[in-house]
Amino acid sequence: MHHSKAHIWFVWPAIILMIVILILPIFLAGGISFTNYNLGNSSFEWVGMENYEKMFSRKTYIKMIISTATYVLIVVPVSVVLGLVAAIMLNSLRFGADIYKTIFFLPVMATLLAMAIAWEFTLHPTLGIINSFLANGCGGIREFILGFHWLPWVSSEDSWYSVACANNMDFPYWLKDKKTAIWTICFIGVWQAFGFNMVLYLAGLTSIPRELYHAAEMDGAQSTWEQFKLVTWPMLGPTTLFVVTITTIRSFQVFDTIEILTKGGPAKTTYVMMYAIFEKAIQQNITSIGAAITVVFIIFIILLTFFQRYVIEKRVHY
Amino acid sequence: MLARHYIGESWKHGLLIIGALIVLIPFYMMVSMSLKSQQEIQSISGGLVGAQEIQTFPVCTKHGYTEEVCTMRPYKYNFWFAFKKAPIPRYLMNGLIVTISIFLIQVLIALPCSYALAKLRFKGREFVFSMVLFCLLIPVHAIALPLYVMLAKAGLVDTYAALIIPWTISVFGIFLMRQFFMTVPDELIDAARMDGMGEYSIVWKVMLPVAIPALLAFAIFSVVAHWNDYFWPRIVITGNRDLFTPPLGIREFRGGIDSDEFGPMMASIVTVTIPLIVAFIVAQKRFVEGITMTGMK
Repeated sequence: MHHSKAHIWFVWPAIILMIVILILPIFLAGGISFTNYNLGNSSFEWVGMENYEKMFSRKTYIKMIISTATYVLIVVPVSVVLGLVAAIMLNSLRFGADIYKTIFFLPVMATLLAMAIAWEFTLHPTLGIINSFLANGCGGIREFILGFHWLPWVSSEDSWYSVACANNMDFPYWLKDKKTAIWTICFIGVWQAFGFNMVLYLAGLTSIPRELYHAAEMDGAQSTWEQFKLVTWPMLGPTTLFVVTITTIRSFQVFDTIEILTKGGPAKTTYVMMYAIFEKAIQQNITSIGAAITVVFIIFIILLTFFQRYVIEKRVHY
Repeated sequence: MLARHYIGESWKHGLLIIGALIVLIPFYMMVSMSLKSQQEIQSISGGLVGAQEIQTFPVCTKHGYTEEVCTMRPYKYNFWFAFKKAPIPRYLMNGLIVTISIFLIQVLIALPCSYALAKLRFKGREFVFSMVLFCLLIPVHAIALPLYVMLAKAGLVDTYAALIIPWTISVFGIFLMRQFFMTVPDELIDAARMDGMGEYSIVWKVMLPVAIPALLAFAIFSVVAHWNDYFWPRIVITGNRDLFTPPLGIREFRGGIDSDEFGPMMASIVTVTIPLIVAFIVAQKRFVEGITMTGMK
């Protein structure tokens, strides 16, 4: 065996950086969260659980937890399912799959901040092409399809589309209306995330041996759906677990779209955690509350990862 | 994969085309706005490129340029005026400086460490590796606030150092390289030692060349993430425009100067966004590989 002290020089820089940059800040956030410290103050006092009590009693922070949870609970399942559906469809195509793949992956690559501004104009009530597209469709096929008139229980006068057409083109204000803002933000989140999931699923699909499908067919699984249930879905278990975890962690960190498009509003309906940390601690310089939110945030993420590890050990069949 | 019929193909294309169109809407809007005149933008007319009539731009003359200088086609004006209004090359330069420094330092720290973890035996190796695994759980954005407090206390806010320091350690990079080095045969390293090479030269002259494919994927992952990052620069760069990275530059366009004139604003956004998108389209395979590498176990 080789004897040298080289490893000390190889490993120590990394260890020191891990401690200073990644581990120490967690304890620092923990410490600050029990004080009333603000950046720039020369002194501080210990205040015990006060910051956490505020966080779980004040309306603002309750709304913060609701908007964060809404965002995560919408974006994760929708972008994972869309990613899976897109991957399965692309995988079964005889031609053209590469073009769709490139297009669906574009939002993952493009600077999200720039795209948020592009969406802002796209969804703008007077300048945007979405509302002008809707307004031009009044009385036509667009109204029929997007107004859900094809559903038996939707009457063609009361659909949201027809009502808007009748009321002088009163289409939603998307990001400015507290009824629609969070859903619009979620939509942009899905738009951005599903291409990433799709690519991971495509990689997962190529690793499923073809023989399994033949075997399933011989066992009587004839329909596509049955084969999906019997082979594809279980074989993609590890991929799904990974995709769900990474999408969840990323969704918890949504910030760019919020800061550009809504600033947490209207009426705090899009006041997500990262934006709260930014607004409270950086803009308003209330460091202690920001630290408390940070601690809760880290606990969420660590719990999530332990949950993932637990599922890996218990449930996923390889 | 599944046995399919020809007929099944067309409805899939139909759905995928609708999906692709929805995905492309904001890109269309962005490019279109960067080419058209203010009137065309406001009246939502002119399709993708507008009529491109030569005209004199009032905002331009208001800024003290002669009428002659301010008379041109809209697309030209938008991009010309964007570059006049803001130091776009500077922003792009800062983006390059920051992303390249981050990547180089990450490799400088991670490569020897992952080599040691994969190929050297020493006391505490398992402990160091479990530390790496633990640190993989911590997203740097989540601990941005305490990091900011530390940097502020060190007087580093509004410096390049603040933009770079938190990203110097990539535990993901260490993990990735370690997995990669595990597959390198020990004979290669033993042969190098027989030739009288020290451990340092082994890392940089033997392991580095071997690791190029993995490094390339990691480079793409790292550069894309930090080129696009907005949250961290937003926190540590408070006012010094000389240090603005591309996303900070974009934000300034939107918020401040001439926000009543959308063409030049979008032109600047397109300019800043385009390099990465072009690079992606050219080297698509490598990009997808690099970015989804986080998906490897």
